[in-house]
Amino acid sequence: MAELTQFFNRQRWQRAATLMMLALLLVLPQWLLHVDFADALFGIGAGWQWLGKNFMPNQAALGDLGEILHQLGRTIVIAVAATSIAGVVALLLALAGAKTTSRLPLVQMGVRLFASCMRNIPFVAWALVLLFSFKQNDFTGFLALFLMTIGYLTRAFVETLEEVPRGVIEALEVTGARYWQIIGQGVLPAVSAPLMSWLLYMIENNIRDATLVGMLTGTGIGFIFDLYFKSFRYPSAGLVVLAIIAVTIAIELTSTKLRQVLAQ
Amino acid sequence: MLTVSHLTKTYPNGKRGLIDVGFSIAPGSVTAIIGPSGAGKTTLLRSLNRLLTPEAGEIQLGNQEMRQLPPRALRLVRRQIGMIFQDYNLIEPLSALENVLHGCLGRKSLAAGMLGLYTKEEKKQALTLLEEVGLGDYALQKAGSLSGGQKQRVGIARAMMQAPQVILCDEPIASLDPASTHTVMTLLKDLAIQHDLMVIINLHQVDLAREFADHILGVNAGRIVFDDGPAALSDEALAHIYAAPEEAAYG
Ligand SMILES: Nc1ncnc2c1ncn2[C@@H]1O[C@H](COP(=O)(O)OP(=O)(O)O)[C@@H](O)[C@H]1O
Ligand SMILES: [Mg+2]
Repeated sequence: MAELTQFFNRQRWQRAATLMMLALLLVLPQWLLHVDFADALFGIGAGWQWLGKNFMPNQAALGDLGEILHQLGRTIVIAVAATSIAGVVALLLALAGAKTTSRLPLVQMGVRLFASCMRNIPFVAWALVLLFSFKQNDFTGFLALFLMTIGYLTRAFVETLEEVPRGVIEALEVTGARYWQIIGQGVLPAVSAPLMSWLLYMIENNIRDATLVGMLTGTGIGFIFDLYFKSFRYPSAGLVVLAIIAVTIAIELTSTKLRQVLAQ
Repeated sequence: MLTVSHLTKTYPNGKRGLIDVGFSIAPGSVTAIIGPSGAGKTTLLRSLNRLLTPEAGEIQLGNQEMRQLPPRALRLVRRQIGMIFQDYNLIEPLSALENVLHGCLGRKSLAAGMLGLYTKEEKKQALTLLEEVGLGDYALQKAGSLSGGQKQRVGIARAMMQAPQVILCDEPIASLDPASTHTVMTLLKDLAIQHDLMVIINLHQVDLAREFADHILGVNAGRIVFDDGPAALSDEALAHIYAAPEEAAYG
């Protein structure tokens, strides 16, 4: 009985502490940074209003639709190509980096380190470095996306490969099969569904990110958004945003559907 | 003929898995390895196809000495030794047929094997084997969707696809219900006789060893303490095999 009382007492204390923490988190920023949450909420609302008033696509903006769709298409192609090629490279790296498939512990560590470094360089940095090296063109955008993706996919693939039970690989080793036969006929079929799922997810993300990368590298849909925005053609910029939203939703739905099919 | 002599395996941590183990096994027979948990049954089985490397002794399969083979030659000898596992170790998203076909990867060229380019004969052989284990109707079904007993039979067909001389089974029925256990044990026994195989099975059920084995090896604390037919497996012999290690050492 004493134990039970103690338990509930502790629980009450924990709840009280959590509430205090939440209150503190709410009050501290207001106090330190003079951020007023009520004001901020209202501010966001005002922002949306301003957007709605100025960015509503009009008749003139529809004239730009052809160019917008063309640039959007280019961006999608670049995002898909960069992600797919990064996927192939990441798979090779992951095979060398996963405990289950790696043959050299030193390489294993090298791959993990590389992937972690790549992941932790922000894409703005990539875009800027590449911009100075290759100037504004589609290849720069492609390379920026490619480099951003490699680290993430390598890590995701390593984790997927490490979920293959050791015994499954052993079962093929004892048939006298060689390394690449085991990879090709055993390991890859075992993980192809999760690998594809990661790839689709990354493509989905990269089409969104490609817009931002494009603003920096001056290519594709991001570039014309920037252009319209800076030349005060807000309705056209609004149309770009709508087109991007439509495409990302469509891609997200397709990719979700595809992943469901794959999971079966 | 498989002849093992003076086989000794010490694990890197100093634990002695096998101590001066010797026995020989004839084709067309089922050998059961029994003994208490931790006696060294798994260590013995995995030494036979060199998943483990014993530091002394001989493993003679036909006229080939296996213990000291370098990797390339080892791969060739391994093709003659099939193995089935307690948890089946199939590639679950692939069909039963594809899993069976894995058994012939070892004799295909690197590229053909990697790309899964199997010949018509190989496919026909795999299908025949699936029929032989009673799964002809399940050839194209995903391995992951089969029952435990069916998975184990796919595992057996995969091992048979290697056209082996030996099949090693580490607790093959430990995850199965009684009916599947009976099917799998009967199948292994029939295959041993029909294909003149040496089937070696680690078991922890003595009654199954009595029922299905032609030859019983009793292991205790890394040593062979019984090596005879099932008829000789008296209560006294059993007590000796399952004795606490110290007793066995003085027994
Ligand atoms: N990888 C290992 N490292 C150290 N000791 C091991 C290892 N594997 C097994 N052993 C030890 O070797 C002995 C025999 O184990 P094992 O062959 O698995 O027994 P069994 O299969 O008969 O239950 C046990 O004492 C076990 O603890
Ligand atoms: Mg064991």
